[in-house]
Amino acid sequence: MAKKVGIVAGSISRFDNPRHTLQEEMCAEAVKMILDEVPDLELGDFVKKGYACCYSYFSDILEQQQCMHWIINDYLGLSAVPCYRVESGGATPIDAIVNAALWIRSGMFPAVLVVGWEKMDELPIQKVNEAIAIAGDTDWDFVSGFTYNAFYATMEARRMHVYGETEEDLAQVSVLCHNNSLENPYAQWPAQHGFSKITIDDVYKSRLISWPYRLYECAMTSEGASALLLANEETTKKLTDNPVWISGVGFGSDTMRAGDRPDNPAWKGLYPEDEKIWPKHVPAPMSPYPDLCNFGALRVSARMAYKDAGIRNPRKEISLVEIFDPYAGVVLAGLEDFDFCKRGEGKKLLREGVIQPHGELPCQLSGALTAQGHAVGSTSVAQVVDVYWQLSNQIGKKWGAPGRQLSKPKKGFIHGHGGTGCQAGAVVLEV
Amino acid sequence: MKQPGPEKVLKEQKIDEKWWDNWIRKGGWRPEGWKIIEMNDGPTLNNLRPEKFLIVHRPHGNMFHHSYGKTSKFFMGLLEGKLYGTKCPKCGLVYCPPRAHCFNPKCRLEETKWVELSKKGEVHAHTVMAIAWPSMAHLQPLVGAMVRIDGTNTCLPMTMRDIDPEKVNIGLRVNIHIEKQPKGDLLDVYATPAEKPKAPKRTPEELKRFREDMEKTRAWVKKTFGK
Repeated sequence: MAKKVGIVAGSISRFDNPRHTLQEEMCAEAVKMILDEVPDLELGDFVKKGYACCYSYFSDILEQQQCMHWIINDYLGLSAVPCYRVESGGATPIDAIVNAALWIRSGMFPAVLVVGWEKMDELPIQKVNEAIAIAGDTDWDFVSGFTYNAFYATMEARRMHVYGETEEDLAQVSVLCHNNSLENPYAQWPAQHGFSKITIDDVYKSRLISWPYRLYECAMTSEGASALLLANEETTKKLTDNPVWISGVGFGSDTMRAGDRPDNPAWKGLYPEDEKIWPKHVPAPMSPYPDLCNFGALRVSARMAYKDAGIRNPRKEISLVEIFDPYAGVVLAGLEDFDFCKRGEGKKLLREGVIQPHGELPCQLSGALTAQGHAVGSTSVAQVVDVYWQLSNQIGKKWGAPGRQLSKPKKGFIHGHGGTGCQAGAVVLEV
Repeated sequence: MKQPGPEKVLKEQKIDEKWWDNWIRKGGWRPEGWKIIEMNDGPTLNNLRPEKFLIVHRPHGNMFHHSYGKTSKFFMGLLEGKLYGTKCPKCGLVYCPPRAHCFNPKCRLEETKWVELSKKGEVHAHTVMAIAWPSMAHLQPLVGAMVRIDGTNTCLPMTMRDIDPEKVNIGLRVNIHIEKQPKGDLLDVYATPAEKPKAPKRTPEELKRFREDMEKTRAWVKKTFGK
């Protein structure tokens, strides 16, 4: 039986862009909120009691600063504390949490502080896109003339062709996320675009980025920081009387280049039940799952996390989900790869209202990447914090919006990934 | 024992390093101006107050001298107007993008052999970029296709020419071309349709929206670049 890992507290410093605040200052804001919430926690405890820090940020290029976490660590008053940075593209923050949880399970540290952040306003947007795109293969992907948007767009075109997803499905996902964010005081969308609901026509009116994706169906570039204090069972119980537990963690990988996936022998036969689901009108590649339609790394990470958490039927057992959705179609693909439905049926869960806030499986309650924001190193930390607040019945207080608290949710699932699904991580939380 | 170097330059297309050296010596990191701004700040939208910030304009840049390693032959091939891939002698997988070592787990990183590829292929997935890289913005709307070159087990992303963006479809047969004056760069490679393209299914609303999107994109290009 693995050692229990608890969440003692979580915090977010808001996501809009530009914020002009330094990264260390945003991180200090987030960590200060944790200190305010856990009066028994002293920064001096980290050295005295052998706690550690795990830092999460994606890019050294956006600010032309390497080893930013050394600045953060000393700014927070944590010199001499064991720490390092985790980086794996978009999966950075979820992998930092997985890493911290495994540290605690190893018995090495009684508590670990995870801090995630990103600053993205210093370069013009095209250069930001470029800095993100060099997380793609700079010999074979980036230099083909494709933007990152374009790679995800080709994958969605494939989903439309193979599964019959429509532009309306994508727009509906976008409407769901944006409207979910309107009462979230940490979210970027309302901070910059106001507090009124959007409709499917607003999405259609937003400019085309790379067909089929439009502006409102793509993640924003954001700034912000967030933090999570994780601890072993004993320390968690000492520091809080309202704990939530990380009962499962997982991570997985796939090829760097999406184009290498259709015939990749590594996937062949791994998920035979998914290989059988293939329409007659499309010639099947050698490895029909994941092809370019799905994300194999997401599947691997989710099944690992479910096994770890003892979850047999995710659809029934999980109360709410936060999917890492840099593009709207990833929500639909994710639902399939996480076993909430069969492949190709993500659109059904959307159309039947299952993932709406009052549906059976509420998804993206924070607004996620297209509306809460995507300050890369902070993104999944914040999504985990959002789910933690739901499970610990704190959304009313934290958001100032009691109507947004779900009634007694039991288990939450949060996923993150990097690249075009090159690497993925997943976390299961439970009360 | 033998030393691996020194390297012998066999062929070279020189770059003009003068302008670059000059800028990188005098320009890099030197502040080029500043501004002071005021904006609301605070950790949540429920807790904001005005703050003043000073912003400095600080340039930097780099020139990378990058080797294509053991896949260099692909790029040397482009200079001769040829398309090369690699083939695993054990399992027979054919790669383009090429790999010097086979990634089939059964092949234990077997070294691959070079093979010349056909210049025909098929669209595996596609998009239409209404925002392309700045260097290609004048080509918007730009069709991007993941092309499975005949006989390969991979897709090579490339842009398409001579095609109505509305009509590009999955399964479309394409001819692959290499620029007449190749630079030894992946952008030398592009595709054109090898058969009459069939438009993917679109509802009347989708089609109307698509055409409006294309019109807007073309109007922006005309306004920005003329013609």
